[in-house]
Amino acid sequence: MAIILEANYAKKLGLPNYSSHQYSVTIRTELTDPSQIAEESARLYSLLQDAVDKEIQVVGFMPDASRYGMNNGQSNGHSNGNGNHSNGNHSNGNGNGNHSNGSGNSNGHPPARRAPIPASDGWNCTEGQKGFLLRIINEANLDKAEVEALARQLFGVGVKELDKLQASQLIEDLLEKSGKTPSPRRSPWQGRQPSRA
Amino acid sequence: MKMTDPLNESQVIESLLRTISPSRLSLFLQCRLKFWFRYVARLPKQKSAALHLGSTVHAVLKVWNKARWRNTPLTLKQLHDEYANAWMDQSIDPIPWEDGQEETEKVTGWRLVETYIRESKIPPDLRPDAVEVPAEADLAEHGLPNLIGVLDLVQGGVIIDYKTSGQTPHAERSIHIHEIQTTSYSVLYRASTNKREAGIEIHTLVKLKTPKLVITAAPPVTTQQRDRLFHLIEAYQSGISRQDFIPSPGMHCASCEFFNECRAWS
Repeated sequence: MAIILEANYAKKLGLPNYSSHQYSVTIRTELTDPSQIAEESARLYSLLQDAVDKEIQVVGFMPDASRYGMNNGQSNGHSNGNGNHSNGNHSNGNGNGNHSNGSGNSNGHPPARRAPIPASDGWNCTEGQKGFLLRIINEANLDKAEVEALARQLFGVGVKELDKLQASQLIEDLLEKSGKTPSPRRSPWQGRQPSRA
Repeated sequence: MKMTDPLNESQVIESLLRTISPSRLSLFLQCRLKFWFRYVARLPKQKSAALHLGSTVHAVLKVWNKARWRNTPLTLKQLHDEYANAWMDQSIDPIPWEDGQEETEKVTGWRLVETYIRESKIPPDLRPDAVEVPAEADLAEHGLPNLIGVLDLVQGGVIIDYKTSGQTPHAERSIHIHEIQTTSYSVLYRASTNKREAGIEIHTLVKLKTPKLVITAAPPVTTQQRDRLFHLIEAYQSGISRQDFIPSPGMHCASCEFFNECRAWS
């Protein structure tokens, strides 16, 4: 019986200006004897670590932090597609990664709140905003075509094209229109807060 | 000082570490014990007359801006009706008015609104980009909690925040004092739109005998300002994790609603 051993080694290092870069190598190998696993695993770990450590010393492209991603009114053209950050994630792995203390939560803090997930199906807003918009439409028996027309009238684009700020504004407006007064200082699609923000 | 229910306290602290807002961060940095009273122990406190006035003015300016956003601008008469309704909304937090005080404060508040409409010189038919809109920024990549907040007004790409004050603000100090808020708004705006703001403005309505509007303008937030904010959030995270809720005695204690509770702290 063939045994497939898959080994992966990844390293993410902090860079100046709240950036980071990361690199990983994965290898698959076939063993014939289970007794070889421990030895082979140790060998692969050492091999992959050396390989990653050698490559990750090359930092590559580093943006000018005072100007990068700051073209007012323009998309910054990064590959992450969700437009979450002003300095985005570069496709070579450089980006707006972790603090210099290394990976996100290695500083002993509890895990941060789950990040807003970009919506699917070509929506520009987050999954939470998309779900909440659809729920308001259903619960208030609103006509989807009318909501689409409203978005075009108010923002000049359709519902799917709304950015997160516009989607948030539309949610507030639909809640008011459907008689559900939105929370004065917090939106329902945002996470629970212990008290007023 | 501890809450009577330690289980509940740990849940509250955990939730305070998941998201952060500019006002929570500011309060934590001002006085950690006051933060504990307000956000962990959630001690109820009576709403002050000044806070009621400020929040009513804020609510009416929101209605005015929202109407402009919907392309249905309000007349001054309609705005006054909105103001009267908003002022009466004291059902949740009744104010302990002294004799004649409510009428005086009500007039002061309306004069501030009138002053804003007149002196801001914003044409009623100019459409804002966003009004009182909640926003969220994912800072997980920085190892930080999600930032949440509400943008009062965005117009022509400029982020505008409203304040009411009893004194005329000093421009440079005003920018510094409100930096946590304005930088947070910039981070939220950029995360939500993928654009850089055109600038920041603090619109302060000053409660003088003759009220006035002071507009303090600042350029777009710099990377250095953003990093300063991130360092402060980092300090918040560490402090909350350590449950470092100690008092910070100073001039600000004069107006603190938890003065007596603080004196009992040991």
